[in-house]
Amino acid sequence: MHRHPPVSDSAPAAVVVEDLHKRFGELEVLKGVSLTAHEGDVITLIGSSGSGKSTLLRCINMLEIPDDGRVVIGGEAIALKKTRGGASVPADSRQVERMRTRLGMVFQSFNLWTHMTILQNVIEAPVHVLGVPKAEAVDRARMLLDKVGILAKADAYPVQLSGGQQQRAAIARALAMQPKVMLFDEPTSALDPELVGEVLRVIRQLADEGNTMILVTHEMGFAREVASKVVFLHQGRIEEEGSPDKVLTNPDSDRVRQFLSRHLSGAA
Amino acid sequence: MGTAMTVAVAVSAFAFGILVGSLGASAKLSHSLALNVVADVYTTIVRGIPELLVIYLLFFGGSGVASSIAAAFGYDGRVDLNAFTIGVLAVGLISGAYSTEVIRGAVQSVPFGQIEAARACGMSRWLILRRVLVPQTLRFALPGLGNVWQLTLKDTALVSVTALAELMRVTHLAAGATRQPFLFYGTAAVLYLMLTTVSTALFNRAEISANRGVRRA
Repeated sequence: MHRHPPVSDSAPAAVVVEDLHKRFGELEVLKGVSLTAHEGDVITLIGSSGSGKSTLLRCINMLEIPDDGRVVIGGEAIALKKTRGGASVPADSRQVERMRTRLGMVFQSFNLWTHMTILQNVIEAPVHVLGVPKAEAVDRARMLLDKVGILAKADAYPVQLSGGQQQRAAIARALAMQPKVMLFDEPTSALDPELVGEVLRVIRQLADEGNTMILVTHEMGFAREVASKVVFLHQGRIEEEGSPDKVLTNPDSDRVRQFLSRHLSGAA
Repeated sequence: MGTAMTVAVAVSAFAFGILVGSLGASAKLSHSLALNVVADVYTTIVRGIPELLVIYLLFFGGSGVASSIAAAFGYDGRVDLNAFTIGVLAVGLISGAYSTEVIRGAVQSVPFGQIEAARACGMSRWLILRRVLVPQTLRFALPGLGNVWQLTLKDTALVSVTALAELMRVTHLAAGATRQPFLFYGTAAVLYLMLTTVSTALFNRAEISANRGVRRA
């Protein structure tokens, strides 16, 4: 019904990740991961905790700086350089800021700015980063808040909203930048079970509208439903990737099989 | 008259203290070891010695230091800093040491996710500071800064030793001249109390406004 059609490999690449390595101290979290999201792709990253899926997502918009490898957004590679101490840093912070405006990020814990109303949260970056005139930003923000179903809460502060409403506001905030790609980092993991559905509905709608999205999730049923491609990570490497039908029903890897039997019988 | 001077010294010193405190807090939170040490030495010394001593050091030592700095730049005369400037500098440095700790704690209370969300939207460091970090820090810092303000207001009484005609000095002179110490010191106490009460009320209001959308729910 909602099943996402396979996206042709000939569609332009929105995000390309090449041979990404990331260490936290002694611990190597990513050990050479490569991934391409074509325009219109909905890629879900799955795997047990500690597999590196969130770190991979956070490397795409440079919230974590990869130690090695390349990230290419819309054909433009993000330039990195090494400090004298050997740490990896962006060569040009302006470039990173510009890239981030094209990548909408939704966090597990919403991270709305608590000192601003919902409407102020949504217009903040368009007005102050992109220079959109305020009246125009407000119109667009109202349209987006209506789309995610919380227009009535526009003048409320984040703390007055339920978790599900806050997450939908956070999605509207990310969409307000008109990003080329949306990144979701376990968007429903911090929610009470009865609030998960309302957030997933919004994300599904975005997928149906053809948005390019990369999504870290534990919701296997949802992954199967919306994904054009499922990527399973294990200990910092891609263990298996492919269509949802292949990876989630008939995986080649025993690890994936074990993971699924735990997750499909249990929480899902 | 003396009350007006007290308020002038207190307000200027508190403002100077917040400036020093912001610099001190950034120094303490910076990754540079040298800046950490400088800020630690400053707060340890100023908070660790009597406030009166800080004022004496600046009042009697300040002009000498200023003169020798001027001499180094080729100016031969004696540089006299007036009592008001010395008072504001001295009380401001004391106030700044306490503000440093208050602001440092407040910055650390800002949830990191809020900063991360701002970065993810493509905000520059300056924009994040202005639009997210400072407003949020203020919310956490206001209660502590209210305390620092009261200390600062009372510390201005110590400046009377420099013969600056603030509330305490004027009271002292009047009490001596009229031989009615209880009446004049009593009046001064009431005046100080009024100042602190009014300012506490103002700080409470500011806290409520800074906490919009935080405690109400």
